[in-house]
Amino acid sequence: MRRRWNILRLRLRSAFGQPRLDDELDKEFRFHLDQQIAESVAAGLNPEEARYQALRNLGGMTQRQEECRDMRRTVYWDNFLQDLRYAARALQRSPGFAAVIILTLALSIGANSAIFSVINGVLLQPLPYPNPGRLVRLFLHNQDYPRFPMNPYDFRDFRARNHSFEAVAAYTRADMQLSGQGEAEKLNAFAITAGYFRVLGTQPELGREFNTKDELHGNNRSAIISERLWRTRFAARRDILGQTILLDSEPFTIIGVAPPGLEHPGNNYHPLGYGEPVDAWRPFTFGDHPEQRGSHFLEVVGRLKANVTPEQARGELNGLMAQLAREFPDSDAGWSVLVMGLQQTVVASTQRMLLVLLGAVGLVLLIACANAANLLLARATARQREMGVRAALGAGTGRLLRQMLTESLLIAFAGAAVGLLLAVTGVRILVSFLPTDFPRVEDIHVNAVVFAFTFLISLGTGLLFGLAPALQISRVSPNSGLREETRGAAGGRRHTRVRSVLVVCEVSLACVLLVGAGLLLRSFLNLLRSDYGFAPEHVITSTIALPYVNYQGPVIARFYDRLLPQLQEIPGVETVGVGSDVPWTGYDDNSGFNIEGKRPPPHQDFHGRYHTASPNYFRTLGIPLRSGRFFTDSDNLKSRNVIVINQRMATLYWGHENPVGQRISVDDHPKESDWMTIVGVVGDVKDTPNSPNAEAAFWWPLAQVPFGFSDLSVVIRSHGDVAALTEDLRRAVRRMDKSVAVSNVRLLNNVADASFSAPRFALFLILLFSALALTLAAVGTYGVISYSVSQRSREFGVRIALGAQPEEVLRMVLKEGMRLACWGVLIGLAAGVAFARVLDSLLYQVGSVDLPTLTAVAALSLTIAAVACWIPARRATGTDPITALRAE
Amino acid sequence: MSKPSDLIQGTLDLLILKTISLEPKHGWAIAKRIQQASNDDLQVTQGALYPALHRLEQQGWIRSEWRASETGREAKFYSLTRAGTAQLAKELAQWERLSNAVALVIKMA
Repeated sequence: MRRRWNILRLRLRSAFGQPRLDDELDKEFRFHLDQQIAESVAAGLNPEEARYQALRNLGGMTQRQEECRDMRRTVYWDNFLQDLRYAARALQRSPGFAAVIILTLALSIGANSAIFSVINGVLLQPLPYPNPGRLVRLFLHNQDYPRFPMNPYDFRDFRARNHSFEAVAAYTRADMQLSGQGEAEKLNAFAITAGYFRVLGTQPELGREFNTKDELHGNNRSAIISERLWRTRFAARRDILGQTILLDSEPFTIIGVAPPGLEHPGNNYHPLGYGEPVDAWRPFTFGDHPEQRGSHFLEVVGRLKANVTPEQARGELNGLMAQLAREFPDSDAGWSVLVMGLQQTVVASTQRMLLVLLGAVGLVLLIACANAANLLLARATARQREMGVRAALGAGTGRLLRQMLTESLLIAFAGAAVGLLLAVTGVRILVSFLPTDFPRVEDIHVNAVVFAFTFLISLGTGLLFGLAPALQISRVSPNSGLREETRGAAGGRRHTRVRSVLVVCEVSLACVLLVGAGLLLRSFLNLLRSDYGFAPEHVITSTIALPYVNYQGPVIARFYDRLLPQLQEIPGVETVGVGSDVPWTGYDDNSGFNIEGKRPPPHQDFHGRYHTASPNYFRTLGIPLRSGRFFTDSDNLKSRNVIVINQRMATLYWGHENPVGQRISVDDHPKESDWMTIVGVVGDVKDTPNSPNAEAAFWWPLAQVPFGFSDLSVVIRSHGDVAALTEDLRRAVRRMDKSVAVSNVRLLNNVADASFSAPRFALFLILLFSALALTLAAVGTYGVISYSVSQRSREFGVRIALGAQPEEVLRMVLKEGMRLACWGVLIGLAAGVAFARVLDSLLYQVGSVDLPTLTAVAALSLTIAAVACWIPARRATGTDPITALRAE
Repeated sequence: MSKPSDLIQGTLDLLILKTISLEPKHGWAIAKRIQQASNDDLQVTQGALYPALHRLEQQGWIRSEWRASETGREAKFYSLTRAGTAQLAKELAQWERLSNAVALVIKMA
C-alpha cells in the first residue's frame, strides 16, 4: 500500500516536476563525473586528460540522461501533451465542425447533468437526519388500503411490545390557531407521542420533548414551538420556557423549542405540503377505550436498532399484529404491517418520473454520441491522407489510436465544460418549473457529485464516439491511406456503411423518445379534456379554523349560518358555501358504515369518505346533482338525519337501484335515530385528475354533523375582484370573532392547475428532449446523405451528362436517405413500444401501445428525415457534369 | 572482465539492491563498491547504473535523498525502502535457485 502511494507520488513528480528533475539529474551526473576525474587525477593523470576520459566513459551525457528520463516513464506524458496540442490545433483548423460537435454534446451532457442534479438531490442524498437509513415509516395494509394509518391503541401496543426499534413515535396533523397578541395566526401543528424528536435523532433546542406522562388526559396543555415561530413571534427570548400562549383560545405552556431546520418526515393524512414549515407540536393524548380500535389516523415513524433490517422488523410487527387480531378480532383482523424506508415514502411519488427523465436524457446523449461519431468519421475520411503520412513516418497503430482518442476526449470534455455551464443555469430553471409539492427542492444543487457524474459521462461519451473513427483510421496502412485519397470514391464505402448504421441508430433512438413524448402528450391532453367533476373557474376558497373551546357541535353551524348570508351580500358574489374540503387537496377521512338491509361480503366492510357541506356548497363548486336533491336550510337538528352521496358510492353499493331514500349509519349498532336517509346523489370528483376512479363519498349537512369539523373550507363563486373579495371575507370573519384566522385563500383554478403541474413538468421536459433528439437525428441524416452526395458527385455528373433527369437523381438520393430513415423508424417504434411500459404509471387513459401515437411519430420522423435528405438531394441535381468530371 | 550488460537481466538490480542494503550510497559509491567487491571483475558503467537507479526508484524499491557526501559536496544517496528490502530477499532467493540450477546442469553435463 505504502509502496503504491510512493509510486504515485513519484509518477506525479515525474510528470509535473520536469524542470527540477532535469536539474537534479544534471547535478547527479556531474557529481559522478567529478568523482571519476578526481580519482583519475589522484592516479596521476593531468586534469584535462582525466576529464576527457571520464566524458568518453560516459558516452554522451544527454543520451544517458534521456535514458534515465525514459525510466521515469514521462514519455507517455509528453506524448499525451503532444497529442493534446495536436488535437487542439486540428479542432482550431475546422472551427465550424468543432462548434457543431461541441455544442450538441454540451446540450446533451448539460441536460444529463441537470437531470442528474435533481436525482442526486432528491433520490440519492440521504435525508437530513442522523443515521437516516434506519428511519422507517410503519403503515397498516390490507387489500382495500395499501397504506393505512394506525389506531392509537395498536400503536401503543406495538411501542410497548416490539424489540426491533430503538424508538417509535406517532404523529397526526392537528393544526391550531395562535391568538392573543397581534392577528390570529393559523399554525401548522402536529400532535406527537413521546420520543418523536428522539426517533428523528434530535432533541429540542431549548427545554424538553414530551414524555409518556404528557400523553395522559389532562396533561396535554403543553407545546413545543418551532424555532421559526420562536424567533418571529417571541423574539427568540430565552425565558420562553414555561410561558403560556393561547392556542385555539386555550392556554398552553411552552415546554420546548424545536431545533432549527428540523425536517418534517411527511404525513399522508391531511398532508403538509413539502417544504411547508411545522410551527408547533403538542402531546398526543390516548383515550380511555383501548378496546375501540376501528379509528385509524396515526402516522408512525420508527428508528430501527442498529442491526435490525426493515424485513426483520416487519416480521416481528406482523407477529404482534396477529396477537392483536386474536385479542380484538373485530377491528384488528385482516391487517398486516408495512415497513417502508422513510426516504422511500418521501420521494416515492417522484421516483418514476425522475428515472424516466434520466432515461430520456440518456437517450439524447446516445444520439449525440452517434452524431459525434458520424461527424468524426466524415472528418476521418477526409484525414485519411494525413494519417497515411503519419503512419508512413513511423507512427505505430497504438500511437495513432491514442491520438484520435485524445481528440475525441478533448471534444467530449470541451462539451462537458460548456454543458456544466448550461446545467447550472438549467437546474435553476428546472427548479422553478418543478411541480408544486415536489420533495427536497432545496437539496438540488450542482455539486461535486454532479461534477463527478459529468466527468464520468463525458469520459464514456468521448470513448464511445471516438472509438469507431479511431479504430477505422488507425487500421489504415500507409500505402492504402495515401492511395485512397487520390482515388476518391472507393475509400468511402466501408466508412459509409458504418455511418449508415449510426444514422439508423440515431433515428431509432429519437423515435423511442418521440413515442414516449407522444404518449405523455396524449395522456396530458386526456387529462385536460377529462371531466373534472366540478367547475373551478371564478371560485375562491379559504380555510377557516374555529377554536374548539368556543366552537363545538351546533355552534359551528350557527357561526356559518350567520357568516354565509353576509358573504352572499358582497357585490358580484353568486353563491357561497362551506364544506369539509375542496376537491384535489388530498382530503382523506374515511369511515365504515352499515347499510340498512344489506350485509357486506365477508372480511370487507362498507366504507366511504365522509364530508360535510352547506346547502349551496355543491352549487358553488359546480358539482352536478345526479338524482334527488341538495341539502336545504331545513336539514337541521330538528329534522330527520339526511346525507348526500356521490355517484361512485351509489353504483358501488346499490348498483342499478336508486339509493335515494335508502338509509345508512356510521354507528356499529344503530338505533332508529342513528340512521341517515340518502336524499341526493351528486357527480363524482376524483382525488386527483389522474386517479382511475373517484372514491365512494357521502356528505352530512353542516347542521347535522355528528362531531365537530374544526377546519372548514369556505367557497365563494364570484365574478368580482379577488383581492377585494378576500378583504371582504377577512373583514366579515373578523367582525364575528377576532380570534379566528382566515388562511389559505386560493383560487380554485390555481388548486386545479397545481394538480396538473407534475404531468405538465414531465411532458414539457420530454418534449424538449425529443425535439433535441429529433434535431440531432436530422443533422445526422443530413450529414450522411450530404457526404454521400459529395462522394458520388462524379457519378451524378456522368449520369446527368448521359441525360438523366434531375428528378431521377433527386429520387435516387432521397431513396438512399429514406431507406435509412425507414429502418430507423421501424426499429425505433418497436423499441418504443417495448420501453413505453415504464411510462405506465405516468399515463392517463392511454395504453402503452397507442396506434395514433405510433403513426404520428412515424409520420413526423419520416417527414423530418425527408427534409434532411432533400437539401443534399437538391444539390445533387445541380451537379455540373463538367466540374464534377474535372474534379478528378 | 565482464560488463553488467553481459549479466543475466535483472542481476544488476540485485547487485544495486544488495550494495545499498547496508547503508545509503550515492551512484559513484555503488559503482565503486560493486567493482571492489567483485575484485574488479564487474564494472558498472554510468550508462547502465543511472537508468537502473531511476527505474528502481520509480518502482518503489529504493528511495533517494540529497545529502552531503564524504567530500562535503551534495550527492544523491540511494537507500532501500521497506518494499525494497523484501524485494531484495526475493531476488536473492531467486538468484540462489538459478545459480544452483545452472551449477548442477554444468556439473552433470
